[in-house]
Amino acid sequence: MERAVPLVVPLGQTEVFQALQRLHMTIFSQSVSPCGKFLAAGNNYGQIAIFSLSAALSSEAKEESKKPVVTFQAHDGPVYSMVSTDRHLLSAGDGEVKAWLWAEMLKKGCKELWRRQPPYRTSLEVPEINALLLVPKENSLILAGGDCQLHTMDLETGTFTRVLRGHTDYIHCLALRERSPEVLSGGEDGAVRLWDLRTAKEVQTIEVYKHEECSRPHNGRWIGCLATDSDWMVCGGGPALTLWHLRSSTPTTVFPIRAPQKHVTFYQDLVLTAAGNSCRVDVFTNLGYRAFSLSF
Amino acid sequence: MSSESGKKRKPKVIRSDGAPAEGKRNRSDTEQEGKYYSEEAEVDLRDPGRDYELYKYTCQELQRLMAEIQDLKSRGGKDVAIEIEERRIQSCVHFMTLKKLNRLAHIRLKKGRDQTHEAKQKVDAYHLQLQNLLYEVMHLQKEITKCLEFKSKHEEIDLVSLEEFYKEAPPDISKAEVTMGDPHQQTLARLDWELEQRKRLAEKYRECLSNKEKILKEIEVKKEYLSSLQPRLNSIMQASLPVQEYLFMPFDQAHKQYETARHLPPPLYVLFVQATAYGQACDKTLSVAIEGSVDEAKALFKPPEDSQDDESDSDAEEEQTTKRRRPTLGVQLDDKRKEMLKRHPLSVMLDLKCKDDSVLHLTFYYLMNLNIMTVKAKVTTATELITPISAGDLLSPDSVLSCLYPGDHGKKTPNPANQYQFDKVGILTLSDYVLELGHPYLWVQKLGGLHFPKEQPQQTVIADHSLSASHMETTMKLLKTRVQSRLALHKQFASLEHGIVPVTSDCQYLFPAKVVSHLVKWVTIAHEDYMELHFTKDIVDAGLAGDTNLYYMALIERGTAKLQAAVVLNPGYSSIPPIFQLCLNWKGEKTNSNDDNIRAMEGEVNVCYKELCGPWPSHQLLTNQLQRLCVLLDVYLETESHDDSVEGPKEFPQEKMCLRLFRGPSRMKPFKYNHPQGFFSHR
Repeated sequence: MERAVPLVVPLGQTEVFQALQRLHMTIFSQSVSPCGKFLAAGNNYGQIAIFSLSAALSSEAKEESKKPVVTFQAHDGPVYSMVSTDRHLLSAGDGEVKAWLWAEMLKKGCKELWRRQPPYRTSLEVPEINALLLVPKENSLILAGGDCQLHTMDLETGTFTRVLRGHTDYIHCLALRERSPEVLSGGEDGAVRLWDLRTAKEVQTIEVYKHEECSRPHNGRWIGCLATDSDWMVCGGGPALTLWHLRSSTPTTVFPIRAPQKHVTFYQDLVLTAAGNSCRVDVFTNLGYRAFSLSF
Repeated sequence: MSSESGKKRKPKVIRSDGAPAEGKRNRSDTEQEGKYYSEEAEVDLRDPGRDYELYKYTCQELQRLMAEIQDLKSRGGKDVAIEIEERRIQSCVHFMTLKKLNRLAHIRLKKGRDQTHEAKQKVDAYHLQLQNLLYEVMHLQKEITKCLEFKSKHEEIDLVSLEEFYKEAPPDISKAEVTMGDPHQQTLARLDWELEQRKRLAEKYRECLSNKEKILKEIEVKKEYLSSLQPRLNSIMQASLPVQEYLFMPFDQAHKQYETARHLPPPLYVLFVQATAYGQACDKTLSVAIEGSVDEAKALFKPPEDSQDDESDSDAEEEQTTKRRRPTLGVQLDDKRKEMLKRHPLSVMLDLKCKDDSVLHLTFYYLMNLNIMTVKAKVTTATELITPISAGDLLSPDSVLSCLYPGDHGKKTPNPANQYQFDKVGILTLSDYVLELGHPYLWVQKLGGLHFPKEQPQQTVIADHSLSASHMETTMKLLKTRVQSRLALHKQFASLEHGIVPVTSDCQYLFPAKVVSHLVKWVTIAHEDYMELHFTKDIVDAGLAGDTNLYYMALIERGTAKLQAAVVLNPGYSSIPPIFQLCLNWKGEKTNSNDDNIRAMEGEVNVCYKELCGPWPSHQLLTNQLQRLCVLLDVYLETESHDDSVEGPKEFPQEKMCLRLFRGPSRMKPFKYNHPQGFFSHR
C-alpha cells in the first residue's frame, strides 16, 4: 500500500516556474529614491524590487549588480503606481496605498509603515489605484483609479479630505499644474478633466476623442498618459499624442507616432515619450520634430 | 807428653747427638758405671762471658807463645829447644783450651739452635693452631652469612594474610595459642594451612577435569546427532517444494535467485539487493528477477593460465590467418568497439506494477569495460492500447524515462573516464549505441551505487550500497508517477485528437458551464519546427525549449477567430507544467509581442497553472489548461471593444458576466473566472 506522500519537488520545477514568471512579468511603476541611489520597481505580481542604481551604473558593474538588492511582496494585486516623498515610498495597486520607509526597505522582512484605503462606494470589487500624485504645497497625495474618482489624502494625518467626481470611466493618469494648483486627470472615458484644488470642482474638460485631428477610433478613446507644463499639455493613448494649449483648449501639434502612448513627460523644452508596446523612447524637440529615439 | 795424652784420654766426651753418642754412652755406662762427663751440663754451668775472656786470654797467650817461639827459633841455641818445647807444651795446652772452648761454643751453638728450634716448633704449632682457628672462624662466618642469607622457598609463597589465616584455618592447624607468640611456629602453621589448601584445590581441579571430559563426550554425541539431521532436513525441503508452490511462498525460488545473484557484477548486485529489500519492506508491487546466463558469467572469470594458453594458441592461429588475409582496419576497429561496449551476461529485471494494472518493465545491464549501468524500459498495460498518432513518443522505450530527474537525458555516459576509452576506438558518443545498449541515466548509476564525482575523478569507482538505498524510494516513486502520468496523457491525447477536451467532473468547477470555443486540431510537431515559429522566441530564448521536450500544436477556433497554441511538454510533466505560446488570427495577427491581452492569456495558463492542477496526482493539468484557453478565447473575443467606425454588429456578443471590461494602465480584459459566482474579474 502506498502512502499518500506529496510528490518530491525536483529542482527543475522552481527554475521553470521562475522563468515563466519572469516571461509574463510586467513592470507597471517605478520610483527613484530621494538620495538618488536606488530605484524601486513594482510589477504585476505585487512585488517591489529595489535596484542599486549606483552599483549598476558604476564602472565595475557585474551581472549581480543588475539584479535587485531586495525583493518583497508588497501588495496582493499588481503595483500600478509608485511615488517617492523625501523619506517614504508610496505604492498603490489593488485599492490600497501603502507607505514604506526608504531607509528600512533595504533590510529584508521590511513591513509597511502604514496603509490606507480611500472610501469606495462599491464593495463588490475593489477598484485599483492607477495613479498617485504628490501635491507638495499641501503635503497631500491624490489617488485616482478604478472607481472613477480622485481622492485626496493628507499625508500627515492620513485622512481623506476631498473627493472629486466627474469621470465616467476609470482614471488612468494624473498631472499637476503648479502655478494655479490644478490637477489634470485623464481616463478611460476619453476626457481630460482639470480640477481646482482649492474649490474642489471641475474647471475644464477636454474630450480628446472628439477632435478629428487626433482621434483614432480603432484604438479607442482612452487617455493613457498626461503631462503638463502649466500652459501646455501633452496627452495620448487611444487618440494620437497631441500637444494642447490649455487656455484655449485647442490641439496645436499632433505627434506622428502610430502606437498608443503609455508615458509622456516634459523635460525642459523636449517631450519624452514612451510607447508601451515598443522598446523605444521618442524625443521630440521644438514641440513637433522627432529628434531621435532612445532604444533598449 | 804423657800427661797431656793422659789428659786427652781421660775425659770421655759424651755427646748428645745421635746414635754414636748413645752407643758411647752405653759403652761409657758399661765401662764406667756412674761416671760420665756431660759437657752439656758443663755448658750450662759455665759463663759464656768468662769463656769469651778465656778465649781472648788463650789467644793472646798463644800469640805470645808463638811470638816467643819465633824469637827463640830465630835466636837459636840449645836451651832454646827446651824453652820451645816448654812453650809448645804450653801452646798445646792452650790449643786444648781452645778446642774445648770451640767444643763448648759448638755445644752452645747446638743448644741454642735446639732451643731455637724447639721454640720455633712451638711457635709453629701455635701458628698452625691459629691458622686452623682462623680458618674455622672464617668458615663459620661464611656459614653464618649463608645461613643469614638463606631464603627459604617458603618466603616465595604468597601466603594468605594473617587475619584471613586465623579466620579460615581450622584450629588444629592454626594452633592460635602456640603460634601467636612464636613467629616460627606461626609461619609453620601458615605453611601447613597453605599445604592443606593446595591439596583441597588440587582435588577440586581433578574433579573439574573429569567433569569436563564428561561434558565434551556429551557434546560429541550431540554433534553427531545434528550432523545426521542435515540430510534429513534436505530431504524434507525437497518434499516440501510442491507445498511451497501451492501456498505461493517461493522460498526455494528466492534461494535460487540469491545463488544466481552471487555471480552478478557489483553494481548489479547492489541494485538487486537494494531493490529486493525495498520491495519487501515498502512496496509489494515491485518484483525483482535476474536474467541471463550464469555459465557465461562464470566463464568470465576463467583462471588466467587457461586464457593465456588460449591466447598463445589463438595468436599462433591469428598469425597464420593474417598471412593469408588481413582483416580490414574497419573490422578490427568494429571488433574493438564491440569489445568495449560488451555487456555482462547477467541482467536484473525490475517490474513495477501500478494501480491500474499497468506494468513498467525495467531491465538493467552492466557494461563491464565502461563501468556504467544502462536500463531499457517497456510499459505494458492491462488492456491493449490504441496509440493515437500524437502520442507516439509518450510511451516509447526510448523516451519514456527521459529526464526523470531534471537534466538527466541519458544520452551521454556519466563516467568521465569513458571518454578516453572512446577516443581509442573511435566512438564519438554513447548516444549512437543507446538504442541497443539502453540508457545510462544518472539515477541508474545511483541505484547501482556508482557515483562519478565531477570535481575529483576517482581511479576506480566501486558500488556503494548506501548510495543506492538513499535513492531507491524516490526513484521508484518517480518512476511510478512517470508511468501513470504518461498513461493518463496517452488517454487524453486520444480524446484530444478527436477534438474533445476531456475535463473530469472534479475539475468542472474551474470553468463556466458554457464554453463556445472548441479544439479542432491536436498534433505533434518536431523540435526544429517549434524553434522556427515566430511567436515562440521568448520561450526559446529563456532556454525552456530543449531537445528533451515534446512539442505539440493545438488549434482552437470560434467563428472566424483561430487561436494557435504551441505547447512545450516537459518530460517531468506534471510537476513541471506544459508551456503555451499563443498566436491569434482575428482581425490581424496578435501575439504576445503586439497584444498585451494575449500575453495575459499565456500568463493565465503558464504562470497560474497551480489552480489548474486538479486533484493529486494532477494528471488533468494539460487538459485543464486547454479548456482554460478555450474560455480565455471566449472572453477575449466577447470583450473586444467595438470599433464605432466600422458598421455592423459585433461578431461575438458578450455572454460572459464581467464586472469591468478594462482595468489598470494596461487595460486588461477580465480573464479570471470566479467560482461559484460565475463572473469574470481581473487578477
